[in-house]
Amino acid sequence: MSRSFEAFSQLYLMLICFEKALVIVCGHKTFIGAAIADFLISSEPWDIKFVSTYNDRQPTRIQDNTIHDTESSTTRTKTRATMAAAVQNNLGRTDWAEDDEPDLATAMPAPQTSKNKDGSETIVTFFINEEGKKVKRTQRIRRTVIKKKENPRVAERRAWSKIGPEAGKPPGPRSETTTLGENIVFRPTMGYKSGQAQETTPQEDKKADALKKMQIKCRICSGDHFTTKCPFKDTMAPEGEAAGPPADLEDGVAGDTAGQLGTGGGGYVPPHLRKGGAGAGERMGGKYERDDLATLRVTNVSEIAEEQDLRGIFERYGRVTRVFLAKDRETGRAKGFAFVSFGDRTDAANACEMADGFGLHHLILKVEFAKKST
Amino acid sequence: MRPILLSGHERALTQVKFSKEGDLIFSVSKDHIPCAWYAANGERFGAYKGHIGALWTVDVDPTTTLLATGGADNTLRLWEVQTGREIKQWEFSTSIRRCEFSEDGRLLLGVTEKRTGQLSNIVVYNIDPTPGASQPDEPILRIVVDELPRVTVAGFSYLSKYIITGHENGSVAQWDGKTGELLHEVYSHDDGMSVTDLQWSADRTYFLTASKDKTAKLHDTNTLEVLKTYVADTPLNSAAITPEPTNYVILGGGQAAMDVTTTSARQGKFEARFYHKIFEEEVGRVRGHFGPLNYVAVSPDGKCYCSGGEDGYVRVHHFDPPYFDFKFEVEREKERAGY
Repeated sequence: MSRSFEAFSQLYLMLICFEKALVIVCGHKTFIGAAIADFLISSEPWDIKFVSTYNDRQPTRIQDNTIHDTESSTTRTKTRATMAAAVQNNLGRTDWAEDDEPDLATAMPAPQTSKNKDGSETIVTFFINEEGKKVKRTQRIRRTVIKKKENPRVAERRAWSKIGPEAGKPPGPRSETTTLGENIVFRPTMGYKSGQAQETTPQEDKKADALKKMQIKCRICSGDHFTTKCPFKDTMAPEGEAAGPPADLEDGVAGDTAGQLGTGGGGYVPPHLRKGGAGAGERMGGKYERDDLATLRVTNVSEIAEEQDLRGIFERYGRVTRVFLAKDRETGRAKGFAFVSFGDRTDAANACEMADGFGLHHLILKVEFAKKST
Repeated sequence: MRPILLSGHERALTQVKFSKEGDLIFSVSKDHIPCAWYAANGERFGAYKGHIGALWTVDVDPTTTLLATGGADNTLRLWEVQTGREIKQWEFSTSIRRCEFSEDGRLLLGVTEKRTGQLSNIVVYNIDPTPGASQPDEPILRIVVDELPRVTVAGFSYLSKYIITGHENGSVAQWDGKTGELLHEVYSHDDGMSVTDLQWSADRTYFLTASKDKTAKLHDTNTLEVLKTYVADTPLNSAAITPEPTNYVILGGGQAAMDVTTTSARQGKFEARFYHKIFEEEVGRVRGHFGPLNYVAVSPDGKCYCSGGEDGYVRVHHFDPPYFDFKFEVEREKERAGY
């Protein structure tokens, strides 16, 4: 304890001299005391110096009973008063903590200080630790001086001894009465809407997103509203049917087109009959126009297989248009079967013949033509 | 910013105050013990034991040597901040709802509650700020408020020229600081909606009142003219003005304490709301309390604010850079124009 005190006190002394802010010539305790009192009394705000040090940790073992020890420490002094007190400790050697210092300490080599190129300093000290071993401590210290102005009254109040239930308690906040809350991001914004962001729950967010993504298109005017809400729904027929004449004019023809329910007027038109009934309509299964004739079903696929593996195997027989490997939704591993579509049926037939019995990973693939889906 | 939670109180906070330098926070709650805290790290400096009733109000003099507290034990007490010693105790027939030092710390104002058979009184004491000095027993001024409804809040204007009071019916009144004569009265808040707080600008030439009618209003001290109105969506308990160079007001409130258990924290609107002082526009909110905010106080240096809640916590917030950097587009334009 006293060791570290000494080390820091040296720092402060040097610092003070360097800064030329305050030079204390001192020999006796009482004198220093008076100097401190002087500063406390002065009403001018004074500079407070923070000294922070850091050490590089480089533990290396040297001799049998000599441990090379590094300590990491950071100190900050808050007021000049404490700095002065530290100075006094060093020079006066009257502090109680120095008294019980074992004599061995004085037998140690004196601390060595050397300056490094990057502006930091290396201090090597020797001392005896609690186990009676000789310890060499190498500290690399970079000194940063942070100047901060503080109102003398505030500094004085900070030095007050605590009262009431806190009387006699050590300085610093106690966990019973003081805790740190969660970090709050507070950023003033122009046009802050009450109840944005923090008021919506994740579910509400999702719903809103889904609504945003859903594209609503009116079939009559292609506006972004539902067809039933279209302002033109009474005057215009849905797009694509608009070419057809109004129903009341087509009375005579209606009989001929009895099969096409509701082509005229506002009646319901099944999707596959829309657009003049020409289009085949959409099919389930998305955009793939699956040509089952050129699709192979591959079974006994190992669990760890990927679509790339299958594509690699089958591409050598022709242009592969699609590889579908069934995967477990939860584990993400292959279920054991796959479909491979070829651009050309002859390629598919060739692949079916050649790839059947092919070894992928530790399993033998079984390849056959996919059955026509019903 | 990471708020510091001060949990020294066992019951709902009623008022929090900063010292003039902003380094100490004084808090009172419905438990009987006022507390003092260091604003920088939330360390409790101490507590002042002696009151035997719920406390409603606290104030500290500009030199941070004297602390005044008042509450439901019908006493207004004066404490020495450093030692915690009780210097003086004044007894009344009803509880003390509000106390405030004048700008120079030479006068102390107290408001007593109106109760059956007792009218609201405003009492003003001469205070001797020198340490160890004896304080007077009798007030230099006593205003008996009989023509106006119950006084809820009061304070000294600049140079102690006026005493401004807020009333239960939403009105704000101006009294002569020397004679106690009623000079002026305005009905700025909705009728029947109590004025819950009155806080001053740094120079005390204008002040902000908060009310249960969900608005806070900036008044001119001389004319009592309403300069600005800040509209919230919840009954307000407190409103504070941030000092220059920032231009905000902070409003605190939330649903009445008796309704709290029936709603979730999110609906309760227990947030500190920040409004731009000039443009009257809301710019943000700070969450945290799980009960209504009973008092909001801003440090006189403007670097932090704290709020005391019905939940028994004081939350101290030290502002981050975005708070100081924020400006409206018109303000930026003005700066660019070189004004």
